[in-house]
Amino acid sequence: MAANDELTKPHYNMKPRRKAEFMRPVNMLKQKVGSGGLSDDILDRAQKLLEENSTDFKPLAIVYLASLMNGINMAKGASESDDSEEVIANMLYPAMQLKANGGMFQYALMTLIADKLIQFLEVIKDPDIEAVEIVLAFHTTMEAVIHGEIKGDGGKQGKELTHALTDACMRYFAKHPETYIPQ
Amino acid sequence: MAYDFSQVSVLIVEDNQPMVDLLASLLEAYGVSKIYSARDGDEGFEVFKKELPDLILSDWMMKPVDGISFTRRIRNDVSSPNKFVPIILMTGFSEKRRVMQARDAGVTEFLVKPFNARDLYRRIVQIIERPRQFVRSEDFFGPDRRRKRESNYAGPRRREEDDRNQNNSAQQVAEKLK
Repeated sequence: MAANDELTKPHYNMKPRRKAEFMRPVNMLKQKVGSGGLSDDILDRAQKLLEENSTDFKPLAIVYLASLMNGINMAKGASESDDSEEVIANMLYPAMQLKANGGMFQYALMTLIADKLIQFLEVIKDPDIEAVEIVLAFHTTMEAVIHGEIKGDGGKQGKELTHALTDACMRYFAKHPETYIPQ
Repeated sequence: MAYDFSQVSVLIVEDNQPMVDLLASLLEAYGVSKIYSARDGDEGFEVFKKELPDLILSDWMMKPVDGISFTRRIRNDVSSPNKFVPIILMTGFSEKRRVMQARDAGVTEFLVKPFNARDLYRRIVQIIERPRQFVRSEDFFGPDRRRKRESNYAGPRRREEDDRNQNNSAQQVAEKLK
């Protein structure tokens, strides 16, 4: 009986050191929108708006590419005392913007290439000269995509470009087996 | 019956104007009529205080105040008029570490860019139909970071591993307790 009592007492009958309070706020959105969802027709129309939007991504992409080039130049000029994470972040953030926005404005290939670049930047330990050269190759390719206005996935050419960049990354990792161990 | 978004107001916090326009057109297609926008977290907080939107869509990376700091401010600032407002954070990051960082700041839903019209709609539906309870502890205030699992599901299990894994983990726990 005593054991059962222990089970029912809050906090095992000990004084709690920290308190967590749970609240369920009023669901204002639910009250306003009601029930039933949106029809497929509305969602299809919204999707069409997205696909047919005529915004020119080029000026925005040029800004992000310039920012990536700044990051590359800073990495090239970085000394050993510089914080590697900060140097990498300077290249990672514009790459992330290119990935995020490319696909929103019909440049799916840009998203694909920038995503591969992000994955590379998320793995490398130090932004050494070989790594920075690879980032530069990504930059050159993305610049070509924008200036060539290659929309969509770029077809066969897009696949070849992505493969070439992926191979360069794989060769880099294979060259440094002491640092990079496959999962 | 269908959702009626005509009385819903949404604040878009995003420094990229073409993206603001795109989001606004999507929301208008859903039926939202009141849409506000701001270019960073600082401006966003001022618009939020003035307009009291029902929902916020915020980008992560903005200068000078990013989406994470903006979210923290909404959840914790004494002058915040609605600390419970749902916030959808949009970003190109998809790494688990980033998702956790966003959750720890008090974000309600996470939306990876690029996304399509149904992706955004699904996040909004989650907020409407499966709202998270809020937690206040010593170091956190925001939506419960654990998504509640339905324990009373009685339908068929479509993946054999479900039962096998459940049995295995139950056995492992039992072994450990012995």
